[in-house]
Amino acid sequence: MRRGHFLTWARAGVAALLSWALAAPALAAGGGKGASKLVNVADTRGLEPGLSRWIAGVYNESFWLFGLLTVAVMVGMGLILGLATDKAVGLLGINLGKISHHE
Amino acid sequence: MELFEIYLPVAGIHFNVLVLLLIGFTVGVCGGFFGIGGAWIVTPALNIFGFPMPYAIGTDLAHIGGKSIVSTIRHGKFGNVDVRLGVAMILGTTIGMELGANLVIKLEQMGLAEGLIRKMYIVFLGAIGSYVLYDYLTHTRRQRRVEAGLEVAPGGETVAQKLQRIKIPPMVHFQASGITCSMWLPVLVGLTTGIVAAVLGVGGGFIRMPALIYLIGCPTAVAVGTDLFEVMITGAYGAFTYGVKGRVELIAAMWMLFAAAIGAQLGTVAIKYVRGYAIRLLFAITIFVACSSVVLKQLEFQLASAITILVAGIGISLVIIAWLVKGIVDERGGRLPANHA
Repeated sequence: MRRGHFLTWARAGVAALLSWALAAPALAAGGGKGASKLVNVADTRGLEPGLSRWIAGVYNESFWLFGLLTVAVMVGMGLILGLATDKAVGLLGINLGKISHHE
Repeated sequence: MELFEIYLPVAGIHFNVLVLLLIGFTVGVCGGFFGIGGAWIVTPALNIFGFPMPYAIGTDLAHIGGKSIVSTIRHGKFGNVDVRLGVAMILGTTIGMELGANLVIKLEQMGLAEGLIRKMYIVFLGAIGSYVLYDYLTHTRRQRRVEAGLEVAPGGETVAQKLQRIKIPPMVHFQASGITCSMWLPVLVGLTTGIVAAVLGVGGGFIRMPALIYLIGCPTAVAVGTDLFEVMITGAYGAFTYGVKGRVELIAAMWMLFAAAIGAQLGTVAIKYVRGYAIRLLFAITIFVACSSVVLKQLEFQLASAITILVAGIGISLVIIAWLVKGIVDERGGRLPANHA
């Protein structure tokens, strides 16, 4: 009888812990300030295969790799877009040579 | 509008692409024109639209690196980038930022960091904005007297000219800026602005651009271009360090950079049609807006602060684009702009 009583309490304890663990993020999101992510993992479940999913995969694999990828993408895009927009502005027919500095 | 919603897996949120493009374009125009990174617009703007703050900062820094490359390429072709000066400044800035970060930790340990830094930021921005505005008004008054044929008292030696006279070897000639001074001057100015930027928690463009004009003596357009060269380096480092910490939403940064590249090109080309003092006037106004947004933040009006910044950023970008369009129309109509060599 005493053992049965103990098991009931143990079950209730586990259930309470589980419900707390499941509800905590929702409670955190619901009350007070906005919730921040508890674990830094990109959620790829709803993503179709493609660029977003690949980037999220790199993020989940290694932050170091993700850091290098970030710099490479930003520098690469900066260079390509810089040269492309430069050409596009040149098409406006304006003089884009050196300018003199008048204050 | 749901059509433009995308899922950002790193930040774990859904976000509207049009908002990213608008923020990117606005900061691109302002950054290319003033030679600043523009974190003061991007970070609060991303945050009010739902980005968690650490991701807003990291994503902002990442796209700043790419955007500054676009502006630096164009400024370089205009002859506005003094690479030697930029490298000397970077040396001082790096050491200064490290010293400043240590100072912040000390202030934190004393429990003074949060409130004190924000108040310092307000005072600092107010002082810079006031000085730039005072300089503009003095210059304009003098110009009017010259145009009216009235007698003008000779202007005294500027702070930059006094500092340039200090002859501590090695003396270096900075060709694009057209100045000769001790190598220590840009290093020390970089060091000081680096400390201030790190303590205030900003990228430093707001402080470095006027420092290049008033302490080193650069022409305004060269100050803008050289500062962007430095922002490009620090931005790339910021992208890496926040990336390694997992705080960059790369997809969002790519969308923003796409629009920022177009904006940066337009903002940079606008420099060609505007005199240095006009840039200074708009810069002073921008600083006052940034200052008032920090005051609102200090008074706990977070939303009003962010909206002020975003609306002002869009307004300032429109003014710059209007100047650009007027300049292009004038040039095509055969009325060459004053800034053209």
